[in-house]
Amino acid sequence: MAEIRKGDTVVTVGTRKGVFLFSSRDRRRWASRGPYFAGDTVRHAFLDPRDGKTIYAGVTSEHWGPIVSRTTNFGGKWVRGKEGPRFSKESGLSVTRIWQVQSGEADDLYVGVEPAGLFRSTDGGDTWASVDALNAYPGREKWDPGGGGLCLHTILPYPGDTRRMLVGISAAGIFATNDSGRSWRMYDAGIRYYGQKKVYQTEDLGTCVHKMARDAKHPAIVYQQNHAGMHRRRRGDARWTIIEKGLPIAKSTSGTFGFPLVAHPHDAGTAYAVPLEGDYNRVVPRGAMAVYRTTDGGKRWERLAKGLPQKDAWYTILRDGMRTDTNDPAGVYVGTTTGQVFFSRTDGDSWGLLAENLPQVQSVEAGVVAGR
Amino acid sequence: MQVTVPYALRAYTGGEDTVELHAATLAQVVAALESRFPGLGYRLLDDQGRMRRYVLVLVNDDPVAHLDPASVTLRDGDTVHFLPSTAGG
Repeated sequence: MAEIRKGDTVVTVGTRKGVFLFSSRDRRRWASRGPYFAGDTVRHAFLDPRDGKTIYAGVTSEHWGPIVSRTTNFGGKWVRGKEGPRFSKESGLSVTRIWQVQSGEADDLYVGVEPAGLFRSTDGGDTWASVDALNAYPGREKWDPGGGGLCLHTILPYPGDTRRMLVGISAAGIFATNDSGRSWRMYDAGIRYYGQKKVYQTEDLGTCVHKMARDAKHPAIVYQQNHAGMHRRRRGDARWTIIEKGLPIAKSTSGTFGFPLVAHPHDAGTAYAVPLEGDYNRVVPRGAMAVYRTTDGGKRWERLAKGLPQKDAWYTILRDGMRTDTNDPAGVYVGTTTGQVFFSRTDGDSWGLLAENLPQVQSVEAGVVAGR
Repeated sequence: MQVTVPYALRAYTGGEDTVELHAATLAQVVAALESRFPGLGYRLLDDQGRMRRYVLVLVNDDPVAHLDPASVTLRDGDTVHFLPSTAGG
């Protein structure tokens, strides 16, 4: 097994059957480890950028429940949390799946779960506390679970500010706090109505957010892939703005349909998406794989396909199936439901195959090892 | 009584597949397992104290997972099997 050292790029690939680790010194030749937690679904795993050595994995056993495990030696030994997140007795709810694991801004850790809920740990994932103001949000009994289940799948802390956070819940909408989670408000104005030209006029009409990402240079700017289209919003804006010039448009929603969305790690206004044909056929359009990139905050998107399969690519990229590393130029990584992982070490200009024949890819994350 | 631990959870018991203990109810069985093998109880019970949805429990071959664990009474000599429900494809 190849040693993993400081400066190496590590890609964590969560799948339906465990998590795989890939590492490389030059992002040309890759070594693999795993699978770990074979048989269990890992919807999300990531190398914590705060220390550059701890990998957290949200592991869901459909039989035995979900739990967060961590390793500080790249899979040599995994430490299982003492228990997973639990809803209160009063809620009547039970956590069935972990969708997202996210480092916070205060040496803490968050998970987003199904049924939709947010939990915080201050001991590395051993124990969890419910973020009650969100988990008991008034009206949650009316939240629409959507086809994928009622899940909190996106957690966006605000860099350097422990008070602010956005979360995405399918299909309840976007929720924001600016008081460290003590109170939350909805954040959906401006999102397109499904299949219509009009947009939501108020914040509290739940929409089907698929993924959000903060701009690297200006984190007050958030990009959002919604079921009904691609949007952008800067804090202080009255509403979301639709940004779809150059993107494929689905016939059903009248907007761009897809799931994954990620910002460039350094460059302002730069983000990546992988649109699908539509909610009626969730594959890349015409079976030709492509990543789309904007470099001007969404004014225009360009299609990137050099090195990607341009025929018979009948797969989906799930909502956490694309991420960047923090190198310069940036690496971009995309995992498919048929077990391929494509990567670019050129900001997306050209692509290669990192892995294939994996189980269905649920998530991809990438980071750079520090301190070893 | 003898309690059978499923293969997937034997990391908690150091590889042991059966455990001998005394308990008057199924809830006490889970509590005793949790006491001896911290974390094991979490894998069996959901947040509301029910058996997890896809956990099968057989007491002397009778399925009882659908019942309140505190209401399932046991006697010395009973056997308790925790199993994964057959599911998926």
